[in-house]
Amino acid sequence: MRNEFQQQFQPLTSDFQTSNSKGCRKDLAFRLRLIIAILVAKAIMWLVRLLGRGKGSSLPGMVALKICPGILGCLARQASRGVVMVTGTNGKTTTNNMIARVVREAGYRVVVNAEGANLITGVTTAFLKAASLSGRVDCDYALLEVDEASFPRVTRQVYPNIVVITNFFRDQLDRYGELDKTISLIREALVQLPGTGLVLNADDPLVAPLATSTGKEAFYYGLGEHHQVASFSAAAREGRFCPHCGRELFYAYYHYSQLGNYRCPGCGFSRPLADVEGTEVSQGDHRITCRLRSPAGSHELVIPVPGLYNLYNGLAAFSAGLSLGVEPGVIIGALAGYTPATGRMERFLYRDKPVLLNLVKNPTGFNEGLGALLSLPGTVDVLIAINDNDADGRDISWLWDVDFEVLEEHHHRLNSLVCTGQRGAEMAVRLKYAGVPLDKVVVENMHRAVEHVLNGSGNTAYLLATYTALWPLERILSGYAKRESRVESLPSVS
Amino acid sequence: MQKGKVVLKVCHLYPDLLNLYGDRGNVMAYVRRCQWRGIEVEVHRINLGDPVDFREMDFLFLGGGSDREQNLMAKDLENRRELLQAAVEDGLVVLAICGGYQLLGKYYRTLEGHVIPGLGLLDFYTEAGRERMIGNVVVELEIEGEHVRVTGFENHAGRTFLGQISPLGRVLVGYGNNGEDGTEGARYKNVFCSYLHGPLLPKNPRLTDHLISLALMRRGLPAELAPLDDRLERVAAEVMLKRLLM
Repeated sequence: MRNEFQQQFQPLTSDFQTSNSKGCRKDLAFRLRLIIAILVAKAIMWLVRLLGRGKGSSLPGMVALKICPGILGCLARQASRGVVMVTGTNGKTTTNNMIARVVREAGYRVVVNAEGANLITGVTTAFLKAASLSGRVDCDYALLEVDEASFPRVTRQVYPNIVVITNFFRDQLDRYGELDKTISLIREALVQLPGTGLVLNADDPLVAPLATSTGKEAFYYGLGEHHQVASFSAAAREGRFCPHCGRELFYAYYHYSQLGNYRCPGCGFSRPLADVEGTEVSQGDHRITCRLRSPAGSHELVIPVPGLYNLYNGLAAFSAGLSLGVEPGVIIGALAGYTPATGRMERFLYRDKPVLLNLVKNPTGFNEGLGALLSLPGTVDVLIAINDNDADGRDISWLWDVDFEVLEEHHHRLNSLVCTGQRGAEMAVRLKYAGVPLDKVVVENMHRAVEHVLNGSGNTAYLLATYTALWPLERILSGYAKRESRVESLPSVS
Repeated sequence: MQKGKVVLKVCHLYPDLLNLYGDRGNVMAYVRRCQWRGIEVEVHRINLGDPVDFREMDFLFLGGGSDREQNLMAKDLENRRELLQAAVEDGLVVLAICGGYQLLGKYYRTLEGHVIPGLGLLDFYTEAGRERMIGNVVVELEIEGEHVRVTGFENHAGRTFLGQISPLGRVLVGYGNNGEDGTEGARYKNVFCSYLHGPLLPKNPRLTDHLISLALMRRGLPAELAPLDDRLERVAAEVMLKRLLM
């Protein structure tokens, strides 16, 4: 059975070593720069740890790249079995962590970049952490989540054997320009990568065409039609127009945003057949399951975090695992034991009250987060933290593309809505115009906001935060509430 | 229509096509602020090819989109040019943002020098610039003799230059129309144009109410609006004014 996948991605298991085993430049000047860069980077990491400031996940890489611009390529080439990259708008961190779990479970040593540190500096830092002082990296696979806009830059130094593309949604427009441009930059970068295999979301009409348009082999994953999971949003659909001829796409069904079974009435472009397909989706209290059909047979897939988007992440990780030749049973087992990273539906307990923390960064993710919120039993105290630093996106207009209107319908189940962060007041304005009763809306500083939702009379506290609001929120929360499941801290090499 | 009951007709142009940057919030704010005062609203969502009589409408909203979507809407609006022009001359209240704003002018000149004709309803033109103008903005407007500071976020490559037409306001922080002459947006009859996302109306209730009053006046109805509780909007605006002006 295994051979089938290996045929799909011939280079993955044998040939690619030729492209990865090319050593670094041997000349003395380069070696010297390399070693100085590593020494300085290690010193910075040590200092950051000593001072207890930040996570130090990008500064070492930034400095090392300045000293020795070729360092990333040199370190990355040493991953003996190859490199897998995950890019796309949503689900990069979760998918990459899931793949890391699968690959470790299969017995390999891996380098993984820290959650969210997905620019070239963060990717470089991951390798620096794993490198010896002489510049040796001893690992089988490098598993990297790569920011969409950084993808061309990173792939100029690091050759990926597999690229997983999750989806394309609107995200931080002020930083990236429009979606079409992001996609075309990724397409151009892929064309420059001979032999790279793709793992693509068949359900996303913006992702699926990348195989044809780059002339690459692709392995597709997707979800079949299902009825149990309610979809709240039809609004934030990006790709509803055919990427080839511009006609409006016809959907037999769709899951959320533009993900579904689409067909263009004009040019015949349609959803490709999924190699890995999930059906019979069922959403439990804190998990989501489906039946999996793949070339490896039929399996039951259990993802121990709720949300349809997490099922997509699981399908992507399963497909990547198969492509790497990992036994399906091992993949299923690894995914069933997945624990979420910070802010990816992380669970805490405060005096027996469940507390959920979730990262939000664009309308699609936020809509899914609201869907998960409304699927909780009983009443809920909600905290929304909105910052507008560069990493969050300085333009917060996208909050108006989120369907907060669903909260108006269900307001009797919401005990309070506490808005915080640099733009907390503006978040409150958004809720006002969504029709949420104003006596339930509060604007507070972060400390008081956390206290407010923890001590609210709702059955659950549900916290949503943009990227830079997540860490301070988590820190405050940890002072009060107990983390329920141990968060998988990802050492760079295991 | 029942006697004495006021119903305003809001026309949201191409809501399915132009759904970028949260600009639909402008329609939400207009509608809610009418409803909170007991003014009924009918929202007409007009997509490509849908029939619409602009003169029947009370408020028209036109946003912007990515290049592909913008081309589709330009083609569709070109077919309706005369009807739209008649309605504008008749005092229809219009809010046009970013790409929608540019489309109402004479032309858009690309970096390569191609001239894409606009609808030519207002006297201004736009030229593509190399660098995008991106960031938070504060603009000072005059509404019924009162100076009002509005905040928003701009993100545009086009530089707009006004002819014989007033700007919407004066830039205090940010680029505005072109980063050179300190103007932001354009104003002609009851047409209001701006580069400001944010979106503009929910963040700036004073302007929203002005657009509601103008629509009521055009129908010959009393334009006095009952005051609303705008404390949240004021707090949100203060946060940005403090950050940007100090």
